[in-house]
Amino acid sequence: MATPLIGLKIRDRRKEIGLTQTELAGRIGISVSYLNLIEHNKRSIGGRLLQQIAEELDVGLEVLDGATERRLVSDLNEVLADPLFDRLRLDPGSTGDLVGRHPGWAQALITLHRAFLDRSQAMHALADRLNQDPFLGDAIHRILTNVSAIRSISEILTSVEDVDAEQQHRFHTILSEESARLSSAAQGLSTFFDKAHTATRSTTPAEEVDDFVLENGNHFPILEEAAGRLRLRLGETPRVMEERMLEALAEDHGLRITRAAPENEAHYASRAPLRYSPHNKRLLLLDSAPAASRRFAVARLLARLSFAGEVEGIISASATLTTPAARERAAIALQSYCAGAALMPYDRFLEDAVKARYDIDLLRRAYSTSVEQVCHRLVTLRRPGSEGLPFAFLRSDPAGYVTKRFPLPNLPLPRYGGTCPLWAVYRAFQMPETVVSQLAEFPSGDRFLFVARAVAKGDAAYGQPRHLLSIMLACEALYADQTVYGDRLDLSAAAPADRVGATCRLCARDDCPQRQEDVIIKSQSAGRGGPGLAAE
Amino acid sequence: MRVMIVEDEPNIVESLSFVFSREGWQVAAALDGDTAIERLLSEPPDVLVLDVMIPPHSGFEVLKRVRSEASLKALPVLVLTAKGQEQDRHTALRLGADAFVTKPFSNRDIVQHVRELAGVNGSAAEPPGSGV
Repeated sequence: MATPLIGLKIRDRRKEIGLTQTELAGRIGISVSYLNLIEHNKRSIGGRLLQQIAEELDVGLEVLDGATERRLVSDLNEVLADPLFDRLRLDPGSTGDLVGRHPGWAQALITLHRAFLDRSQAMHALADRLNQDPFLGDAIHRILTNVSAIRSISEILTSVEDVDAEQQHRFHTILSEESARLSSAAQGLSTFFDKAHTATRSTTPAEEVDDFVLENGNHFPILEEAAGRLRLRLGETPRVMEERMLEALAEDHGLRITRAAPENEAHYASRAPLRYSPHNKRLLLLDSAPAASRRFAVARLLARLSFAGEVEGIISASATLTTPAARERAAIALQSYCAGAALMPYDRFLEDAVKARYDIDLLRRAYSTSVEQVCHRLVTLRRPGSEGLPFAFLRSDPAGYVTKRFPLPNLPLPRYGGTCPLWAVYRAFQMPETVVSQLAEFPSGDRFLFVARAVAKGDAAYGQPRHLLSIMLACEALYADQTVYGDRLDLSAAAPADRVGATCRLCARDDCPQRQEDVIIKSQSAGRGGPGLAAE
Repeated sequence: MRVMIVEDEPNIVESLSFVFSREGWQVAAALDGDTAIERLLSEPPDVLVLDVMIPPHSGFEVLKRVRSEASLKALPVLVLTAKGQEQDRHTALRLGADAFVTKPFSNRDIVQHVRELAGVNGSAAEPPGSGV
């Protein structure tokens, strides 16, 4: 996939250190004309060649790779795909230029668009409440009834002259009664809206946390270190580990721990495997919860209570987390990170992952963890110098609502749904609990390995629908042979692959039978656009 | 003329009763649907003023029953609905309501509707003190 800024960065850096094209091309063993094409973004490069160039130019790979800028381009392209801008006929090819020249303005546009979406969602949520909330329907009826009585009596008192004194007194009494009822109904309505306001879900904090995680490459060395210290106390086998974590919660943090037997659990409607009450330091464990979920929840609580300082330090240092709600969400994300790191220690887990060729099921069994926990941990293996395969991560519900995402620089994952339905992450819902692997080719020609599995979250009670989520890992097809999931796929360049796109509005495949919306990009010169936008 | 008001809010019943009485009409009232049916069958009025939101099952149940009774089939029914409740209007129309007044209503409007439904000539029937 063409990346708009690499070529420019290579050229700038080469000139900065006084190398000619001929000299650089000679050192890395490519032709001058090929280097020229690279510098003018006419050829996309990556892998070994990019590494060689970075070494010769004496800069870090991440500097040339321009991951931040590419994320901006990707986010900006998603802004562009909003039907709101249809009439403006904006040139999608110019997003790369805008990001390159005015990154601040690009970020401002993205921030504005997110705020717009947030407000729209809040408005729709309120509209739904107005239309469907039984309390509101009843309150409005009561108010209209009170007003009807007041209006009717007032009309009588002002337009009928011969109302006798007793009747007049009666009507005044009614007016007083109805006014008091009206006040009470209005106050009830006002209280309702106060509560409705605080309960309105805002997407902005989630977006902020998303960006915060991306900025840190989904790797937090301080937490890895903290989790390492914790791990030393926990032992090896899962059962021992859980017992020791509970001991630590009781001894270090003074929690009183009780267990709810399955027959008593009907009282606890929540799917959460544990309940923690900070004010009275009580912890209730649900014995029937899946062991992996319960162990993870215990580890997260232990991380929350043991590493509050570390978590707070990371959050305070971030300029991205601007609201209390975002900081709260980030704290939960970091506690989960720490739990994953404690249950799946970095070095050993990386070694096992490489040995198992990233077989999620093997790793899940080896660490007694869940599919999602393993996938999430695999994405965090980004320690410089000791990295696992670069994976993207996506979690979706059956309605296409993306609840967790970690993109790759050249694989943008839409934030707001509307992703290509051909992706394995959605196919997996057709076969829950089965791994669906897919060699996916984008209109740009870029190929990725998608590995997805729909899993049931928690145990549904009889008569309740299962809570299914589809978890997907994705990596460049280049790395597919390092995973077990590439074994059954023909990975040769000429082999057929599933023709997918990013979203309909960003996908140039006119003949796609799954198309739901018109494409906003009809043609584009290769190399100018951001990820996912290059023409076929 | 005899008008029956079916409305669970006593203060509205009281004000409408006053207004209708001023028109020289006889007024009967019921605060719930079951009582309404009972009285409608025993002493059918010339016009029924029926609120949608009444216990125990809503004014629609009363309307359905009215239209299923041979003796009440032709009874003119004025339905009181809440303002903006389009669905209520559609339902009432489907069930055979003859007219609607939305809350909060004016006395003048409701009197005018009842007159029209009863086929009463406004000026001829206008008693002293009307026009509320």
